[in-house]
Parts: sequence; C-alpha cells; structure tokens
Amino acid sequence: MSDRLSAIFGQLIALAIALAMGAVVILSVKESPLHVLLTLIDGAFGSPERIAGTLLQMTPILICGIAACVSLRGGLFNIGIEGQLFLGGFAATWVGFSFALPPVLHVLLGLAVAAFAGLLWIAIPAFFRARFQTNEVVSTILANYVAVLLTSYLTINIFKRPGGQPDTPPILESAYLPQIFSFSRLNWGLFIGLGLAIAVYLFFTRTARGYAVTEMGANPKFAEYGGIDIKRQTFVLLLVSGAIGGLAGGVESLGVHHRFMEGFAPGFGFDGVIAALLANGNPIGTIGTALFFGALRSGSLLLEVDTTASREIITVIQALIILAVSAQILVRRRAGDSTAGERRWKF
Amino acid sequence: MEILERLFNATLVVAMLRTTAPILLVSLGGSFTTKAGIFNIGLEGQMLVGAFFAVIGTIFTGSPWIGVLCGVAAALVLAFIFALLVVTFRANEVVVGLALNILASGMTISLLKAIFGTRGSIFGHGLVGLPIIRLPFAKELGPIGQMISGYTPLVYVAFLAVPLLILFYKRSRLGLYIRVVGEKPEAAEALGISITKIRYTASLICGVLAGLAGAHLSLGYTTMFTENMSSGRGFMAVAILIFSNGDPLKILLGCLLFGFSDALSLRLQTFGVSSYLVLAVPYLVALAALFALSYRARPRIIQETLASMGRALSVKPNGTAGS
Repeated sequence: MSDRLSAIFGQLIALAIALAMGAVVILSVKESPLHVLLTLIDGAFGSPERIAGTLLQMTPILICGIAACVSLRGGLFNIGIEGQLFLGGFAATWVGFSFALPPVLHVLLGLAVAAFAGLLWIAIPAFFRARFQTNEVVSTILANYVAVLLTSYLTINIFKRPGGQPDTPPILESAYLPQIFSFSRLNWGLFIGLGLAIAVYLFFTRTARGYAVTEMGANPKFAEYGGIDIKRQTFVLLLVSGAIGGLAGGVESLGVHHRFMEGFAPGFGFDGVIAALLANGNPIGTIGTALFFGALRSGSLLLEVDTTASREIITVIQALIILAVSAQILVRRRAGDSTAGERRWKF
Repeated sequence: MEILERLFNATLVVAMLRTTAPILLVSLGGSFTTKAGIFNIGLEGQMLVGAFFAVIGTIFTGSPWIGVLCGVAAALVLAFIFALLVVTFRANEVVVGLALNILASGMTISLLKAIFGTRGSIFGHGLVGLPIIRLPFAKELGPIGQMISGYTPLVYVAFLAVPLLILFYKRSRLGLYIRVVGEKPEAAEALGISITKIRYTASLICGVLAGLAGAHLSLGYTTMFTENMSSGRGFMAVAILIFSNGDPLKILLGCLLFGFSDALSLRLQTFGVSSYLVLAVPYLVALAALFALSYRARPRIIQETLASMGRALSVKPNGTAGS
C-alpha cells in the first residue's frame, strides 16, 4: 500500500473508533446512536433545502479552515480565527449600514474592510510571535475573548438599533452578497471559499514562496539556514491567516445575517481550525472536512428538534475524531515513518 | 481621592484573594506539567469538567466534599487521556489539548441537558456550596483578620500550596526528577529516570489541582454551574505558566495580578463602565503580561536559538537545508 493510501486508511480507522466512542457518549445521554445518526443524515441531506443549509454552514468553516491552513503550513497555530471572524463580521456590517455605495463596490469594500479588521486583530500577536517568539497559541486564544466582548460592546453600547433587539441596524441591500438559490440563504460566499481553497493550494504547491513557507513549517532551523527570513515569513503568514479569518466574518455578515448581533457565528473559527487539522493543513482536503463539519452542524439542528440530545453532542464527536486521529497517525510514525517528525503541528 | 478610597480598601483585598484562588489552583497544577516539559493547553477543559462533576456529585449525594472528589476524578480522567496521547502516543500537545477542551465544553453542555433537561446554568436542586471557614483568632486582628478569614477551604488550600510546592521542587526527590525530565530529558534517561512515568505523574497531579480549581469555581466561588464557566481561566493560567516557567512564587505573583485586575474590573462595573469592557480587562492584562515579559526574556531566547543552531551545524557540518 502506498503511503498516501495507508494514511487515508488510517484516518478511516480513526474515524470509526471516534464514531464508536461517540456512540457510547450518545448512549450516556440516553439516546439511540442509530436514531441520532439517521436524524443527523436526514437533517443534513434530507431535501434540497437541507443540502443548501449544509453548504451554508460549511461556508464559514471552510474559509476559517483555509485561514488555519495558511498558518499551519508555516508551523504556526492561529487559534484566534474566532476573534478575527467576529471583528471582520462587525467591520463588514459597519460598512454595510453606515453609507451607501453602488452594489458590487459596496460588497467588495465590505469584504476588504472585514479582511483588514482580521489582519489588524492578529497584528500584535503576530508581531510578538515573529520578533520575540511569544507563544501564538495562547495569545490568539486570549484575544478571542477580547474580540467577542469588544464587538458586543460596539454593538450594544454604540451601534444598537433603536428598539428591543441587541443587534446593529441591518445593512443596505447594496451590500448583500447575492444568494445562489431563492429558497436558501446560501450565497456566493461558498464560491469565495472554494476559490480561496484552490488559490491557497496552488500557492503552496506551485510557487517558490509557498515552497519556502512549507519548508519553514517542516523545519524552521534548516529553513533559516537555507536563507529564509523566518521572522518576516512568520509575521506575513499570520497576517494573511488573520485577514482570511476576518474575511470569513465579512462573508457571514454580508451573506447570511445582514447585521451583527451578540453570539454572531459562534464556534465557526474553532471548527475551521479542526477542519484544517483533520485535513493535515491541505486546503483541498479542508473542503472535504469542512463539508463534513457543515453537515454535522446542519444535521444537529434537526437533532435538537427530533431528539432529546443537545446539539453540542456533535462537538463531542468532533473532538473524539481529532483525538483518535492524533493518536492513529502516530502509530504509523512509530512504525518507522521518519519524515513526520519535525513538523510542530503534525499529529 | 474619595473615589480611590471607595475603590481600594479591605473589601477589594478580600475580593482579590477570592478571584485569585481558582486561577492559582489551576496554575499550580500546570506548574507540574510545565516543569516536566509538557505544554498543557488542556487546563481549561480539566477545570470545566471538574466544576461540572463537582456539582453533579454534590446534587446526587448531598455532600459538597463528595462533590469535590467527583470533580477531581473527572479532571483526572481527562488528564490521563492527555498523558496517554501526548506521552505514550507522542501526539501534538496543542492538538490534543484543544480537542480535550472542546470535548469538555460539549460534554458538559450535553450532559446538563440530558440530566436536568435545561441549558445555560444549573443551581438549586439541593446544591450545597463548600462551608466557609472562620478563623477563631481573626476577630482580634482587626482589618487583617477580615482579610484572612471567611473563605471556603479551597482558597486556603490554594495559598498554602505555594510554599509547599516551593519545598517540593527544592527538597523532594520527585520534585527534582520532574525538573530534570523537563530541563534535560537526556540526562534523566542517563540517570535511569523513566521519563514516561514522571510525565504521567506530573500530568495526573496537574489533573488533581485543575479538578480542585474547577470544584472551587462551582462550589466555593459560586454555588452553581454555568456553560463554559471556566471562561478562559485555564488559558490565562497557561499564559502565566509561560512567563513564570512553572515557578510557584512567580505563579503566585502572576495570579495575584490577575486576581487584582479581575476584582478591580468587577468594582469598575459599579461605577457605570460598560460590563463588556470591564469583563475584557483580565484577558487584556494576561495578554499585556505575556507580551511584556516575552520582550524581557528576549536575550535568553536569542542565546538559546544561537546555541541550538550551533549544535545543529556542528552535528551536520554539510547541512541538509534542502531536505
């Protein structure tokens, strides 16, 4: 069996183990695993509306996943995508409701400002990571909490729509990301995500810069010895990752919610990181894992209606998959795969 | 002046010690893994399951002490899974830690709904908090007595653990072994110390303390469980561990700084500052400390990098930059 095939086979075994443990968890909340599974599948793919709903949930996970792939390739963990998504979502909403522009221009400006907001939000952790090796995992996680509180503050204390709801005024129609079908809120954000995945994949596999980044992720010391400016590379890579995270928020607010509110898009940033980790930092693979997570999320909506299980049960299943896969690959490594050693983020 | 007096007084110190205790317990737990050379990002999840199962245990038995034991046991299970994957299977610490945090969050919410049929938070149901200890001689000490008496037992445990841990690392054999394993694994191996055994031990002790921190959160600090109630304290503890390098005294200072900013921010709320901004203060303080202290530690990092590069070059004189 080739390396690639055995890797995929290994992931499948890990998936099976994780699902078996997930079944135990489902039993422990007094539900039938089979019933839960069928409800999940029905909720995710049962009708054209539900399939569109799955793709709608997949979109932010995919874009956040691409953001994570960019940093993972360079051996860096941007766990702050959640925060960048919130900031980006708020910034795009602000562009959307505060002034009028011609339709296409308004959307593009909104998305650009969202990406810029995400970039700004990661700039300080990125600078300290590049210059002084400050642990980016912890700094970006802590920044998430600040981002969520800051956007809540801006929404409720400064931009609150007159009336009862704790949300901002709706954006103008010129800033809407167009819908693909009339029956779903699924919008052009999906194509933005797919396009980004392909672009990032081509960048890493076809360009010299992309090769240098991968080299840095694989073995920073030798990369530096080989003439790569690690500090600059680290800084730029984290900025790009943050900008894509912000873009995810922009797509979500201009395409789905058309406003910003408390609890905007919760957990998409984390799901994106997990989707990217499961795909081993491969943008094309992330399309598949993001679809899987989108289906889980979309299916869980029906789960909460049709069973007594909480929809958070799917986060348990996601976590179990990650744990199983993280150990499984290592069985392979200990069996003599010496190439897997150096990468900081490799399972 | 009057505002300052209203802000800074004995009650603020009491509030500070109360807010310091949970993060101090979990940070001291993390000190074991840090010293043993493990980057333990899973503290948040261990604390959360500790808080949840402490509440469950108390409701089902009526005794908060059994509750504390249940919380510790749950955190231990998570700590064991962490050690199993990281030490035995050499999985990535960050990946496993994050996954366990997500697992803890999803599992506690799911079980909350399965057992009580509600979401959000759980209180009542015969839930009893930990008793408050009033030191008998406190009254004679005046304001100082007011500051040191009237806390739940785990607060005292947290602060007493600091000198104990200092002694542990300096004087005990296990403390020495943990330090050796963290600093010079090769030396530990040469001395015949089992790295695996020491790292498991450190992870499990860490689990006990993280579980106590969680139990304190749900039975001492408040008497309830709320979804994700650890709210980043585990991550702040990791930040403190990074710049304290696991040293108990520095951990205490870091936690007091955090406790102070937390207590002060709660005070500011009564002055009419928006609660959203106020709640962000502790995270900002942790971030500022992380950045400021990493700037200060710069020369050491540069030296280490140079040294390790020198080693890499001398081992492989031709280099293998293209590999």
